[in-house]
Amino acid sequence: MTVKRQLSMVLDLNKCIGCQTCTAACKLMWTNRNGREHMYWNNVETMPGKGYPKDYQQMGGGFDKDGALRLGRQPSQEDYGIPWEYNYEEALMTGTDPWLRPNVKPTWGANWDEDEGEGDYPNSYYFYLPRLCNHCANPACLAACSRNAIYKRQEDGIVLVDQERCRGYRYCVNACPYKKIYFNEQISKSEKCIFCYPRIEKGLPTACAQQCVGRIRWIGYRDDEAGPIHLLVEKYKVALPLHAEWGTQPNVFYVPPSSPPKIGPNGEELDESRIPLSYLESLFGPRVGEVLETLAEARQLKADGKESELMDTLIGFKHAEMFKLS
Amino acid sequence: MNVNLIVKSFLTLALAVNINYAWAEDNELNPNITEVKPGDTVKVSRIPGTIYLRTQNDPDDLIWDRLPMYHTNLLTAPPVHQSVKLRFDEGATLSKRIYFQVAQSSERFYIRLRWKDATQDRTTTVDAFRDGVAVQFAINNADTSYMMGSGPKNPVNIWYWRADTDKVADLAAGGFGSTTTLPVQAVSGASSYILDQIPEDNAWHVVMSRPLKVNGKYDVNFQRPIVPMGFAVWQGSDEERDGNKRVTHTWIKLDTGYTTASVSKK
Repeated sequence: MTVKRQLSMVLDLNKCIGCQTCTAACKLMWTNRNGREHMYWNNVETMPGKGYPKDYQQMGGGFDKDGALRLGRQPSQEDYGIPWEYNYEEALMTGTDPWLRPNVKPTWGANWDEDEGEGDYPNSYYFYLPRLCNHCANPACLAACSRNAIYKRQEDGIVLVDQERCRGYRYCVNACPYKKIYFNEQISKSEKCIFCYPRIEKGLPTACAQQCVGRIRWIGYRDDEAGPIHLLVEKYKVALPLHAEWGTQPNVFYVPPSSPPKIGPNGEELDESRIPLSYLESLFGPRVGEVLETLAEARQLKADGKESELMDTLIGFKHAEMFKLS
Repeated sequence: MNVNLIVKSFLTLALAVNINYAWAEDNELNPNITEVKPGDTVKVSRIPGTIYLRTQNDPDDLIWDRLPMYHTNLLTAPPVHQSVKLRFDEGATLSKRIYFQVAQSSERFYIRLRWKDATQDRTTTVDAFRDGVAVQFAINNADTSYMMGSGPKNPVNIWYWRADTDKVADLAAGGFGSTTTLPVQAVSGASSYILDQIPEDNAWHVVMSRPLKVNGKYDVNFQRPIVPMGFAVWQGSDEERDGNKRVTHTWIKLDTGYTTASVSKK
């Protein structure tokens, strides 16, 4: 799907500390009310992990090798996690309930398996993966909508649901392999990350990027050769899409995480990384090893007191340089 | 007994079993219920002015026991979008029998629909789908495509009852994918779900009605001689929505009793 321009985001997973400030910023702005309580347009997952909704990577959707839509499994409320509230009034104010407790028995939530990861000491590992709508160049949600209710804006490629046209068929929820489009039971329509377009139109970055304390997010247009996106995605080629094999052509890219060496049985450092390369390749494709080498070289240049345009960009000295919105 | 006879009797038996299966509901059919095939014409009954309906859309009002009833078979709708096709069972031959009654008073048009449904699906959640039924009328004549109309010049008016809100939406469409909610919602309706000893015999009863007066160019006009009509049923427990439905393939024609002369006099 061709658009005049395409906004894009790069996230450096080496810098994400899993603080969920982005999640909170997004939630407070868009999804803490009106039937959206179970939605996280932005969430941060611990990887390896089940993700949100639970096991979304095994739910299907996206496109097959011939470009045809693949039927997926419809996530249930339990897969998202049923939002709960606490009895603050009864427990803390009136004292009519001796216990502070949730109003439902929580069994799963968006960050339920936080910091669990994989492996045994000393080779246990995990990293954080913040996820939002990829505003794909070939959105499966758009292809799946029989109502033409989903569209990509010409001026910035942001994927939106026309709430007037949506009739709540949930084909899009099923089709998005990232499960980043959600059904609002209160209004019987689907909703998703809008890339904070009201902020973008004012020249401001998305709430998740603005609030990011780790400064892991860059925003800009794909065609802006002076911008950070072009530098990271095209020039140094260190930012990769998540699950490119699902065929949707994401416009959100990740700088894959490097990790310390694996420890051998006698405490010696082995010549392989703690996070198995094969695991990272299963997420970000076959170029991960190459990217990690590029990053190591750039880091070494800086350590040696030399210049590295790539490392200077990844450090993210100034917000003005991280967000190029014109 | 020669081989030929054995083969013949086997064939007869197979045919009998087959017919018995295909017409399993026949034994309970009331002979007074007329079978209608797509293309047939059905007379709209008159509710005399002397009869007062206590509740406008009571699906079990006594009046419905006194008006002629028809039944017709709904078949799987041909898929027109890849999302529908993905969920379309190629071997699906399941038909659905719908019973209907059509009537008009001097002020309103009524339709009552009845169909069997073992599950009462009244919720619309992230992964649960509601039951629904719709009646579709061609704004113009029967040349209009029964599949949601033929473009903006030959649209259809759709009355869609949904089990979650128990309300009727007044819609218009001019081809698939174009369904639009009309600005004036003049259609009302109500339902009851009747439980039976055997769950398979549980049934929805739905009545929808609208004043005869039209509110715009997408409201079907009943004060003309022939009004083309079709049905659709969505089975929530089978995750049916949108084009995943069973429909009448082509129009059933309503004979309203109005003549061209009586229409032009108005």
